[in-house]
Amino acid sequence: MVNFMREVLRRPSAVFGVSLLILQIVAIIFAPYLAPYSPVEADALRSLLPPSGEHWFGTDVSGMDVYSRVIYATRINLLISISAVAVAFVIGVPIGIVTGFYRGYLSSLVMRIFDFIQSFPVFVLGMALVSVMGQEIWNVAIVLAVLFMPIFARLIRAETLSLRDRPFVAAARCSGATDISLMFRHVLPNALSPAIVQVSISIGMAILLTAGLSFIGAGVRMPVAEWGLMVSSGAEQMILGVWWVALFPGLAIVISVMSFALLGDAIKELSDPTMRARR
Amino acid sequence: MNTYSSELLLDVNNIVVTFEGADKPAIQDVSFQLHRDEVLGIVGETGAGKSVLARSLLNLLPEGGQVKGGDIQFRGRSITTMTKEEQRRMRGGDIALIGTNAKSLLDPVQTIGSQISRVLRAHRDVSRRDAWDQAVELLSNVGIVDPEKRAKAYPHQLSGGMAQRVVIAMAMITDPDVILADDATLGLDATVQLQVLDLLIGRCRSSGKAAILITHDLGIVAHYCDRVAIMRDGSIVEIKPVSDFLVGPEAPYSVGLLEAARSRPVPIVDKKKSGSKSSAVNLTKEAPLLQVKNLFKLFPISGTDQVVRAIDDFSFEIRRGETMALVGESGSGKTTVGQCLVRLLSLTSGSILFDGQDITAMKEGQFRDFRRRIQMVFQEPYVALNPRWCVADLIAEPLQLMPAMTRAEKLKKVHELLGLVQLPTSLAGAYPHELTAGEQKRIGIARALATNPDFVVFDEPTTALDIRVRSQIIDLVRDLQERMGLSALFITHDLNSVRSLSHYVSVMQHGKLVERGETENIFEYPKQDYTKMLLDAELPIEQKEFFVPKPQHVGDLT
Repeated sequence: MVNFMREVLRRPSAVFGVSLLILQIVAIIFAPYLAPYSPVEADALRSLLPPSGEHWFGTDVSGMDVYSRVIYATRINLLISISAVAVAFVIGVPIGIVTGFYRGYLSSLVMRIFDFIQSFPVFVLGMALVSVMGQEIWNVAIVLAVLFMPIFARLIRAETLSLRDRPFVAAARCSGATDISLMFRHVLPNALSPAIVQVSISIGMAILLTAGLSFIGAGVRMPVAEWGLMVSSGAEQMILGVWWVALFPGLAIVISVMSFALLGDAIKELSDPTMRARR
Repeated sequence: MNTYSSELLLDVNNIVVTFEGADKPAIQDVSFQLHRDEVLGIVGETGAGKSVLARSLLNLLPEGGQVKGGDIQFRGRSITTMTKEEQRRMRGGDIALIGTNAKSLLDPVQTIGSQISRVLRAHRDVSRRDAWDQAVELLSNVGIVDPEKRAKAYPHQLSGGMAQRVVIAMAMITDPDVILADDATLGLDATVQLQVLDLLIGRCRSSGKAAILITHDLGIVAHYCDRVAIMRDGSIVEIKPVSDFLVGPEAPYSVGLLEAARSRPVPIVDKKKSGSKSSAVNLTKEAPLLQVKNLFKLFPISGTDQVVRAIDDFSFEIRRGETMALVGESGSGKTTVGQCLVRLLSLTSGSILFDGQDITAMKEGQFRDFRRRIQMVFQEPYVALNPRWCVADLIAEPLQLMPAMTRAEKLKKVHELLGLVQLPTSLAGAYPHELTAGEQKRIGIARALATNPDFVVFDEPTTALDIRVRSQIIDLVRDLQERMGLSALFITHDLNSVRSLSHYVSVMQHGKLVERGETENIFEYPKQDYTKMLLDAELPIEQKEFFVPKPQHVGDLT
């Protein structure tokens, strides 16, 4: 782990990604101290004020402080995305291992179900599912988990398919290893690295999707502080020259997605066996 | 044997090769000369710098490598002062390199004919058509049947041996003065190796070329080379005519190497000795530990109703304390037999009786008891060890077949097993990639012995190991046979090790039994042509010694 951090610090793009991530973590933990106002307190008298010393990022149409909302929204956006990807990972990985290890009808059936899920454009399916289930924060997270699970299952399955015929698995079988032990103690540790890379990339995608769903009104609802929702509400005033309401949450999305993408790239490079050998 | 009256082709003077970031040079002060009509063998273990030396002769060092000192002269001209174009013409034109693993050296999307003729056209001014014709002619000269048709084949359609011939043809088509063969026959069957080397050296001899054979097999050196250079850690420790070397190596390292390459006498635990516990009469009547009857294993070829007959009516038995060797070329079904015994593969038909019980019909749960008693040492040690597990966990894994043990008991057993295979207990925390090939092999053996098995299948225990490591493994297995009274099936194509390790030999071809008998009998009086062919392909270093009276090694001559 120490080695890993050292390798990360050797790459400028990775350092940039990690510092952006730290920025977000700080925002999540210290939101009450960093935000001067409540994120959901409306004040009709202070509607659409431009950025100033009092309201750094200005106020939106209901008079809520954009800066405070951007800070607090980090919590919501990252919470949804990270928990969705975590659930997708925890469910998808075992499914991938098992379907890769036993190649039977059931395994094919599961893969066909995943084909079905993945054959829809992610965004359209997400929209449909959230509107059916209700526009709650947790529903968005559950839908994202369902959408991402096949990605992990497929990745792990592909690795498992090649690993299960490796001699060390045969050797373990001769040493009395049970199928469970073969799957989770022998195959899994060797299959995990591409999935771990995918985690970071998926979190970035999940942030974008959460924001996107809210933007078109299919995600969480006002007055929750959420970036996509804020961009959407700001977009209505954009034509009036009110740029700040949409710009700042938009920047927050960019920063957040970029940090996870850069982190994913760094992990991918580091998990490359040739890189590992050099260490 | 060589008078050195012939033309001096290569003159290497005190060259030093360094790699960026390495603390010591890869090649340190190496000097040698190569004359026309001469075959020089360069022998050394992994990491001795043999391949780097070959590449530096062509000034084609891998990234980061550089010839720092000394001089390499080819026909009186220093290679380092040549222009790029002159160097290009020299490579392949005057000095040709044949590498290991021919299949990976060939371009997969080009027919072999065009690859060979392209080499010719890069060096000589010939038309496409002429080049093709010459390529075809050369293919037939290197022993490829139906060369016109084969020239249009792609590399994936060739067997390993054929691909190696193609690479040799590629090296020879420009008629170079020097051929560098860098482990050119590594991984080929002994019979194929013999054909390939006979061809290569035969061509060199008949046309007065020089060749450098880089190898770790002293048998090859003894049979084909005039002079031998022993390399270690980037330096040549000894260089002298082969005949002198075989009878009187000087450097202590070469003495050790030569000693390691000799075969040992037949294992000490023969049936009479192990039978000394019970009466000798009883022994012959005792039921065999393992009885394999009419084994068949057929693999269907997908998309057709044809089958591959991997094992075709094969029977044998092994009594307690005995070791049987299963020999044959690759693809003969040897490994399949081993895998059937430990139930990694299910048989098509036939029966396997272990200690009187038929293990083929058992459910996995029932067979679990027998897993403890039948163990297997896998072929390639590195891939048979989970890269993410440390040595202690790897060795402790089979202990789950034993009655439950506490953590401390397990650790004690792991240390005991490490001692048994002569490894320090400090390795317990290491991971497979941190070990040498020899250590990996020992870990594989320790794993198989963890459960005190009655019977062990050794799958190619000596293949692809350096000379000294190989002999250490052979000694270790001999020691274990003696101490633990192991019964074993020994699957190999390394005949030299068979002689040192097993009491009986079964020769296998295309899944069928060719011949079986006691080791000495088979080696001395093979009855079948196939067995004779296998034996002839062996290149023991002792054969040359035949001409030199040395009484203490007479026993090795068989």
